[in-house]
Amino acid sequence: MRRLLLTVAAATAAALTLGACGTTQPAADEAKKSSGHLTLTDASGTKVELDGPAKKVVGTEWNVVEHLAALGVAPAGVADVKGYKSWDKAVPLKNEPKDIGTRGEPSMDTVAALAPDLIVATSDLPQAAVTQLRKIAPVLVLKSADSADPIGQMTRDLDLIAKATGTTERAGTLKKGFEAKLAEGRRKLEQAGRKGTKFAFADGYVQGSQVTIRPYTAGSLLGAVNEKLGLENPWTVKGDPAYGLGKTDVEGLTKLGDVEFAYIGSDDDKSATPFTGVLADNAVWKSLPFVKAGTVHRLPDGVWMFGGTGSMESYVDSVVAALTK
Amino acid sequence: MAVTTTAPPAPTAAAASRRGGAVAVTAVLVLLIAALALADIAQGTSGVGAAEVWKALTGQADAADASVVVASRLPRMTAGILVGAALGMAGAALQAVSRNVIAAPDTLAVNAGSYLALGLAAATGVSLPLLASSGVAFVGGLAAAAVVLGVSGLGGGTVRLVLAGSALTLGLTSVTEGLLLLFPERTEGLYAWNQGSIAQNGFGGVLWLLPLAVAGLAGLLLVARRVDTLALGDDAARGLGVPVRATRVITVVLAALLSATAVTLAGPIGFVGLSAPALVRLLARRYGGFSRTRASVTRSALTGAALVLGSDVALRAVVPADVAVAVPTGVVTSLVGAVFLVVLATRGRDTGAAAPPDRLRIRSRTVFLTVTGTLVAVLIAVIIASVLLGDSKLLLGDVVNWAQGRAGRAVSFVLDTRVPRVLAALLAGAALALAGTLVQAVTRNPLAEPGVMGVSGGAALGAVILVTSAPGAGPAGLAAAAFAGAALAAALVFGLSARGGFRQNRLVLVGMGVATASAALISLFIVLTDPFNATKALTWLSGSTYGRTLPDLLPLAVVLAAGLAVAVARRTELDLISLDEDTPRLLGLGVPRARLGLLTLGVLLSAAAVAASGTIAFVGLVAPHAARALVGRRHVRVVPVAVLLGAALVGTADVVGRTVIAPAQLGAGLLTAVIGTPYFLWLLVRTRGGGR
Repeated sequence: MRRLLLTVAAATAAALTLGACGTTQPAADEAKKSSGHLTLTDASGTKVELDGPAKKVVGTEWNVVEHLAALGVAPAGVADVKGYKSWDKAVPLKNEPKDIGTRGEPSMDTVAALAPDLIVATSDLPQAAVTQLRKIAPVLVLKSADSADPIGQMTRDLDLIAKATGTTERAGTLKKGFEAKLAEGRRKLEQAGRKGTKFAFADGYVQGSQVTIRPYTAGSLLGAVNEKLGLENPWTVKGDPAYGLGKTDVEGLTKLGDVEFAYIGSDDDKSATPFTGVLADNAVWKSLPFVKAGTVHRLPDGVWMFGGTGSMESYVDSVVAALTK
Repeated sequence: MAVTTTAPPAPTAAAASRRGGAVAVTAVLVLLIAALALADIAQGTSGVGAAEVWKALTGQADAADASVVVASRLPRMTAGILVGAALGMAGAALQAVSRNVIAAPDTLAVNAGSYLALGLAAATGVSLPLLASSGVAFVGGLAAAAVVLGVSGLGGGTVRLVLAGSALTLGLTSVTEGLLLLFPERTEGLYAWNQGSIAQNGFGGVLWLLPLAVAGLAGLLLVARRVDTLALGDDAARGLGVPVRATRVITVVLAALLSATAVTLAGPIGFVGLSAPALVRLLARRYGGFSRTRASVTRSALTGAALVLGSDVALRAVVPADVAVAVPTGVVTSLVGAVFLVVLATRGRDTGAAAPPDRLRIRSRTVFLTVTGTLVAVLIAVIIASVLLGDSKLLLGDVVNWAQGRAGRAVSFVLDTRVPRVLAALLAGAALALAGTLVQAVTRNPLAEPGVMGVSGGAALGAVILVTSAPGAGPAGLAAAAFAGAALAAALVFGLSARGGFRQNRLVLVGMGVATASAALISLFIVLTDPFNATKALTWLSGSTYGRTLPDLLPLAVVLAAGLAVAVARRTELDLISLDEDTPRLLGLGVPRARLGLLTLGVLLSAAAVAASGTIAFVGLVAPHAARALVGRRHVRVVPVAVLLGAALVGTADVVGRTVIAPAQLGAGLLTAVIGTPYFLWLLVRTRGGGR
């Protein structure tokens, strides 16, 4: 044991002395100050100071990344790039951003090495991590979701990011486009006689012989969009205060009654698509009125259910297509 | 060892008259299960209540209600009975064959082995049919049971088995949790599944697995007679012509098969395999007639079924239907089982003496100085490596620039965030090692450790409660909450095991009960408050230095400095207390007061470490042990060596966790468990039959 310790110590010390001198970056000179100073207040109530509109931006959550991409700001760093590409095809990334690790635990080292002008995070990130990110660069903390006003929260997030990146004009266009899309969707649904249709959206996942279903209640972003489209939300389950998501099992679906049922899965993730998989042979599922009537709709993949205007516009299109078939 | 099974009493005339009692108890159990089953099928998320169920059963209900009863309620109820019965049987068989009342699928790491096997299958993205996944679970569970039984030795005593089992559980679960963090999308359902729930999607699963359970039961009944003879002792059994080894192997395989069946169907439903046979034994003491394996296996099956169904019914009766969907049955049974374990441990007559002090060679001063010098060198190497390595590799010149405040932007950023993490790992490692040293000295129990004792679990529970209820809490608040939790857990564990002077069995068993209960409560808290952010809690529980800043480390640094000062000042007292009961008293030392003071310090140190870096297991156990082996047992030497070892160990785990899969990362606690488990098991093997 002792000899082992000695050897390890000696070898490590030798390796370090031989290889570790020198620098990877020359010593710094004073950074130049630019004009166009910005002061923003984020969702955590923190004043965020920027020297000017941020160009090199890192996003820790996919909704943030979608906002950035939609605003034409190519993010320098994104958490779980592969996952984003699979789940959010509505607003694809135009560049190849650096992967900064997982959404729950983005790597400080990688973010720091990118030396961004701005980090956009959400309230889902632990406070300790935000504190540390603030040492790297100004951090804009967005409220991840608010079931009291989901659409308002989404557009407020978009506006704040737009201000920080100097793309307010583009944000205006996006919001107008989104409003127009909602109005158009509503009109099309009304024309098809779909006003007031009961429309239940859910996702779900499977493990073993168990299926968990997550209802999107009226407090979810998709629930709010449905309401704007003139649809009615039939879920009676209570959602969580941020995302408006509930939890139920298959027999909980019997309370829905005669509705249109819709879900989004992912072809890349088999366990996230129970409705076409294990439920197909389930007697409760088969006895549900909407399954019997064939009013179950699988909406196209790649619409991020917690995303921004781009995802929501794709969602509106898919709902209109499903209901006016 | 006190808490081991008694040999079956020889059949007497009295036994015959008590047979009537045994039959009555069995009949009551069957009635109880029937009543619980009826209650269970009337509960659920849909509007189908007792009246509709009645109609459905008599064929008068409308099709939708009938389908709910047939495809959701009845399968759930059947699964509850099947799972409870399988686990009860497995527990009874394992306890009989190992002559150990603590043997169960949980304590033998069978569940953890199955969980890891299924986690590996999920992470590779393979979608398995149910029977294949139960095969995977079976292989994992059987392998884990084999390791635990091999390491602890059959009939090798309760503590050894519990320690080997819980160590392996910890190690395997760490690997699985690593997979959950690495593949969050693929394993999303796995975390929920790991909590254990008997809800079913139709009868498919139950029907597939029912034959396996029946085969297991039949097999156990066939070997029951041979198992009975094992209770007489290996030699006596061999004398009667019973193949001892083959009987053991067959029984363990059958038990693993039964547990794997239950695990595949419902996830790990904790502690039913432990409590059901224990309950049966209690009944046997009162009514007699249960001690034969054949009888105890079947009655344990009934009791297990009643426990699982009862937990499910109670849960659904207490909370609203939609919440009950989210609260796993396994959490409820784990809480019940933990209480059971504690009661069992405190009631058992613990005649097992505290372990004699390690017989270690006296080491010379030169050895001590060499070891310390080497460790200091290793620690410096670890520090340098930790500061330089990470997603972005730096060189020493960068660090020099940074220290002088003239580093470039990127380098400053990296070091500003990396240095606090390195410090957090080193300080937590040192504090845990010191805590372990103190607790082991005071309890004279070489296996006592803040993690095994439930103290870390209590601290984590306190911290998680604060984090979920007041997200903006500062480092001092977090440390205070962790300490409150740790103090509560410690008061419970040490209070319950103080009688008789912290004997090994009682202390370890009570500690394990408290650790299990705190883990179940943490799960419950997360499910109820933040159901969609399991990653956050997992991160916290996996012992991560993620996101630490210098102010977060202040409480830990203060406590560690104070702890070191006290340990150095009280080095002689530590030596005396750790020696035996009488010597310090003869020398006029106030033993109870000294003990209380040192234990409090140990608890403070563990709590501060948990607040700074989550739960990190094994360091408190391994570091003092290794230190004693290296430099002898005088605390003036053990303390510095253990502290240096602890710091180096956690420091290494942290840097490895940050670099191997960058930019994603693993918690330091996961890695210390992965490093610590084999060391710990090796320690157990080495000391087997060594007079402990």
